[in-house]
Amino acid sequence: MPRILVCYKWVLDEQDIKIVSLGLSLDVSRAKYKISDYDKNAIEEAVRIVEKNGGSVEAISFGTSLKQSFKDVLSRGVDKVYAIDSSIAENADAYVTANVLAAAIRKIGPYDLILCADGSSDVYNQQIGSRLSALLGLPGITSVSQINCEGDRISATRKLGDCTEVVHIKGQAVISVLPEINSVRIPTMKQVLAAAKKPSEEIKIDALGLSDAELLPKVTKVSVKGFVMNRKNIVFKDANQKDNVSKLVASLAKEGLLKERG
Amino acid sequence: MPGILIYSDNITLTKQLITAGLLLKEKMNQPVYVILTGEQDLTGIANTAADEVFVLKGSNPWPESYADAIANFASTEQISAGLFGGTPRGKDIAAKVAAKLGAGLVTEAQSVEFDDGCLLTTRLLYGGLAVATEEVKLPALATIAPKTFEEAGSSDKQTEVITIEAANELNQITIGETCPVVREGVELSAANRIVSVGRGVGKKEDLSMIGELAQAFDAEIGCTRGIAEDYHWLPVERYIGISGQKVKPDMYFGVGVSGQVQHLAGMRESKVIVAIDMNENAPIFEAADYGIVGDLYEVVPLLIEALKS
Repeated sequence: MPRILVCYKWVLDEQDIKIVSLGLSLDVSRAKYKISDYDKNAIEEAVRIVEKNGGSVEAISFGTSLKQSFKDVLSRGVDKVYAIDSSIAENADAYVTANVLAAAIRKIGPYDLILCADGSSDVYNQQIGSRLSALLGLPGITSVSQINCEGDRISATRKLGDCTEVVHIKGQAVISVLPEINSVRIPTMKQVLAAAKKPSEEIKIDALGLSDAELLPKVTKVSVKGFVMNRKNIVFKDANQKDNVSKLVASLAKEGLLKERG
Repeated sequence: MPGILIYSDNITLTKQLITAGLLLKEKMNQPVYVILTGEQDLTGIANTAADEVFVLKGSNPWPESYADAIANFASTEQISAGLFGGTPRGKDIAAKVAAKLGAGLVTEAQSVEFDDGCLLTTRLLYGGLAVATEEVKLPALATIAPKTFEEAGSSDKQTEVITIEAANELNQITIGETCPVVREGVELSAANRIVSVGRGVGKKEDLSMIGELAQAFDAEIGCTRGIAEDYHWLPVERYIGISGQKVKPDMYFGVGVSGQVQHLAGMRESKVIVAIDMNENAPIFEAADYGIVGDLYEVVPLLIEALKS
């Protein structure tokens, strides 16, 4: 029965980030935190594996304000959540994050299977699964669209652009899953209520035995600016849709976009 | 000797990375080392302006099994920069190499420069909402998406190819069957015109109406992630977005597409962007050249009729 750990990231909801037109800086004051979208698929996959094979699902995150995330994570079928809550996470790059998670996993592990999403919805670095596997000395398989577990054997189907590839693993592994691996279920009221009684544990970053160098990012942000879209923004909104359509067709004709008649 | 390392599992991308490597060389004054693995085709690599070409040869054909060997090469040569092809395999290999070297890695860098002893890179954040300029300490690694740089041309020189034996046996992993992905219809990224379906379209049957519109424009059909991955109305290969297809056709025409930033990031380089949506405040209109606010079930039939006449 597999013991599974899912890594998740607690991120700002990009839908609520606004670009300030002056200087193109980002206004995050109205943005709330959420579980990174694709991490929900990783959690869902872990829960589905356990529903089929037995075992347990734990989750871990490195970030800030992580307490707020516990209820959502635990109501999705996770048995226990670990949090490394530290301001170091604010400027952490994938190098630092992987160092922290690997050190924590050495402490609370071993796990038969460590699941990550293929990337986070904020920075989409797509590195954590691969880096963790290298740091922990475990097989690391990315871009996975299907997982089958049987005993201590795992088969993972990867989607690699122009082909799919099946990888068979014996023993422990770190697997990064694509969002298409499953459809995330919405927690039931019963699950939400049960979440409050489930355990959570804080791991202090100082207790991980990492050196200052291992916590110092290699990649630092010089600037972050909103992406500028320069478009004509001609929007037809008459009540009479026939008028709108003929105006649009006229505009598209001018752009040379109508189908040529042969 | 310190140098700039180039690797991709895709040889076309390797040639594009050589261009990026040669640009870095101008400022860094370090040689460009190209790495190939296993049986990769050498044609057209040894006569580029790259300084040295190395072939890592091991017993296992799986590209990912060379991550250790590439990391060993990088640390022996004390490379200062490594550019990796941004394919799924390449991103995995780059991250494993970065972890083994204890190095920083920038994913899908859009530009890479050498500045003040660091690599200076740009990349997208928040699903394409923002552009980040980042500074990476050396040794610095980056993955680069296909078609970011032109392929390196050939030069007069014929670089000697050095073969290095690599230990790349895998103990716990066996690679099973690989199957080519069967694509339905044409390559979306090559289409001149695309009509794209979003969640504003109420049911699968209505796709026939959208098909008619596409036909009237001589366009291919694309969609948002939700249509492909949540509703499964169209194959995953047809969804446009930062994690899906990136397209830049002459015309992108969104029908019932609200314009989430992740979708916009996959199509905003289109020449002309058109949108039909119910919601006047939908972000798609900020990204569009032309738009109609209205019920697509009223507008689309009128439009098909107008296009036919």
